[in-house]
Amino acid sequence: MDVIGSFALVLALLAAGYSLVAGIISIRTQRPLLLKSARNAGLAIFPLVTIAVASLLTLFFENNFSIAYVVEHSNRALPAYYKFAALWSGQEGSLLFWSWLLSIFAFIALFSNRKKHPELMPYVGVILGGIQLFFLMLNNFVASPFGLVGAIGAAGTPHVVALADGHGLTPLLQYSEMDIHPPMLYLGYTGCTVPFAFALAALLGRYPGEKWIHITRRWTMVGWAFLSVGILLGGHWAYQVLGWGGYWAWDPVENASLLPWITETAFLHSVMMQEKRGMMRVWNVWLVFITYMLSILGTTLTRSGVVSSVHAFAQSSIGSWFFSFLAVILIVCVVAYWKNRDYLRTDNQLDSVVSRESSFLFNNLILLAACFAVLWGTLFPVLTEWVEGNKITVGPPFFNKVNIPIALFLLFLTGVGPLLAWRRTSLSSLKRNFAWPLAAGLFAGIIGFVLGDRDIYALVCLILAVFVTLTIFSEFFRGARVLSVRSGANLLSSVGQLTMRNTRRYGGYIVHFGMVLIFIGISGQAFNKNVQSKMQIGSSMNIGPYTLVCQNIDGASNANYTAERATIEVFKGGRSLMMLFPERRFYLASQVTQTIVALHSSLARDIYIVYAGRSPDDNAPVIHAYINPLVRWIWLGGLVLVLGTVLALVPSRQPQIILHAEREAAPAAAGASVPVTVLQGHD
Amino acid sequence: MRVSKKLAALFCVFSLGLLFSVPARAQNDRAKELGTKIMCMCGGCTDAAGKCTHSGGAFAGPCQTAQNELKEVADRVSAGSSDDLVLQSFVQEYGPTVLISPPARGFDLWAWLMPFLALLTGAVLVLFVVSKWKRRTALAPAPKISPELLSRVRHQTGGENDVD
Repeated sequence: MDVIGSFALVLALLAAGYSLVAGIISIRTQRPLLLKSARNAGLAIFPLVTIAVASLLTLFFENNFSIAYVVEHSNRALPAYYKFAALWSGQEGSLLFWSWLLSIFAFIALFSNRKKHPELMPYVGVILGGIQLFFLMLNNFVASPFGLVGAIGAAGTPHVVALADGHGLTPLLQYSEMDIHPPMLYLGYTGCTVPFAFALAALLGRYPGEKWIHITRRWTMVGWAFLSVGILLGGHWAYQVLGWGGYWAWDPVENASLLPWITETAFLHSVMMQEKRGMMRVWNVWLVFITYMLSILGTTLTRSGVVSSVHAFAQSSIGSWFFSFLAVILIVCVVAYWKNRDYLRTDNQLDSVVSRESSFLFNNLILLAACFAVLWGTLFPVLTEWVEGNKITVGPPFFNKVNIPIALFLLFLTGVGPLLAWRRTSLSSLKRNFAWPLAAGLFAGIIGFVLGDRDIYALVCLILAVFVTLTIFSEFFRGARVLSVRSGANLLSSVGQLTMRNTRRYGGYIVHFGMVLIFIGISGQAFNKNVQSKMQIGSSMNIGPYTLVCQNIDGASNANYTAERATIEVFKGGRSLMMLFPERRFYLASQVTQTIVALHSSLARDIYIVYAGRSPDDNAPVIHAYINPLVRWIWLGGLVLVLGTVLALVPSRQPQIILHAEREAAPAAAGASVPVTVLQGHD
Repeated sequence: MRVSKKLAALFCVFSLGLLFSVPARAQNDRAKELGTKIMCMCGGCTDAAGKCTHSGGAFAGPCQTAQNELKEVADRVSAGSSDDLVLQSFVQEYGPTVLISPPARGFDLWAWLMPFLALLTGAVLVLFVVSKWKRRTALAPAPKISPELLSRVRHQTGGENDVD
């Protein structure tokens, strides 16, 4: 099976090389048959890499311990569903997985557009082929997942050995979300490739019109959705598995996933300026380029060991390959831009500072500032070591201090932006749209203050959350009311109709609402409580309004691990509410201990109990209890965000009404020939 | 008179109690706060000493290194050292990497300044761009829309702001 996998990877490498070289020649010589064969070679990469992935998975399921990667990341006792997670748990497997996801995206992009955009697709094929070539080189020559376990025999000759069992999967990854979180994150990272290919192709081929920007936007939304889910699942995993009571630690690898997400978010906003007004073409192209480079930088940081991270399982000297690749990408982007900069030239115009256009400009400014702050904080230890020779730590307090004000301003813009009209917003419209959401927000703030909220950020977040939520709902309400008056349908069905008429706009609002929920959830951090205490059977501890009583400590074991489990009964006001069972597991193959958190989650708060193990002083069981308010809102917000994105990707049901000024206004405005789109969705 | 003397005595006892109890509690809080400003230097985790849960370790509480650091902090605080002095003593012992955030001085000050300088520069650029684009609009002729069309669209959209 390893031979089949290796052979498939070699063939995939050859196919990628051919699609690159033949693609370039066919563009230069305009030979249609060569162009077709280059595209077919690009399409062939996906089935070939699929064979390699299937081979590696088979080796895992066969417990083939003559393969080094299988030995390092699996063992006989590992449950079958974690053998999938083993595929991406190490350097070699995760790179193969990356190549596979990349080949899926490339296949879909090439196949679905095989009869469209004849001037654009040859360039797209070349770029996708080049990128796949790089990853397949890594799979074949730098980090092959099919390496064999070797030993030196008595005669001094090396030979292959098959070990009796493997070292097992890292216990941190033996968690159901690990079967979903990395694929989502990787789909998000690799999803940046197709928009990049289309943007670069449009620039290189000087593709006429704005069609490429529509394709790029849709692909970016797909990648953005995957990256959002990946980031949120990563936070959820950290929360449930690491046992420190939090979900985001500003670890360099977490930051690396956030960077392309931020620039993609900026692009998804600024792209509207290009679609509606033909503005910001240079900026948009560079946002797509930067997003792709940041996605590669993210994986470089994960794998190179340049910055220290808890995600140490994938570090190696592979960084130099990635840095070289990044340098090549940067050079290609700069040269392509410089040679074709006149193609992107537009006559940007702005009617008023108080307009949707300027709100997008400020939105992009704030997002890019947040991106820079995260990147700067992540790389500053490297910079300090280089300049001063000292390595320093840039921990969560830095990122929180710098990013919280920026994020709150962004939340404010989320409420303001949709209320501003394209081109110009009148003062009366501003007053009409802002007055009561702002008043309600301030009222909520006062209520929060009276109820004891003294954290300034949490208070501002509450005010803005109410403000933004009301602006979003008012947008739905006002549109639905007009439809309802016209059609006589009830308001609720009018909301549905309205949404389906312009899925992108209203899907976007739902995404904004999801972000509001996430912000509310994060603001709950200001009120976290935690207590750690030794607990014998029958003893109790208090945290917030709850009393925790240790009812039992017992053990369990299976072939994979031995466990010690505490039984904690939770009381409130003398009434028993629930039993929670936090665990400590000792994984036999890897000889690592891991926490299994007991969690009771509600919209108001999470009761989060960790069995910390036996105290080193006197061997007494130690329980660490946390009360984390509002955390559930984050996961709920994530769900809303995904629903909104999916809705935005669904094509709108009815064509929007477009009135042309020259037709309607001909008698009144003789000579005016500029068509004015009046009712086009202002998403 | 006797009542007021009793009240005065009670007040004195209460004040003395406060005098001794508040600093002890304040010292404890200060030590806890300082514990979150230094890293656990065990090499096996990336937690602050005061929040060390040592993932993957045998005990998920503060590990021995973190406990020693926290004890050292508590000792120095009770000996009357200022926050800066306590942190400096750790920097001398472990190097600047022990601090959870870069200090706002010397080269490390750039860590704090750059994000805001970038934001400021960006804001100036955006304002410059906005004014430039606005000037262009002033020079370009505006498309003419009749008041009738505008009023009809306003009526149809229920006064949606897009056409304002």
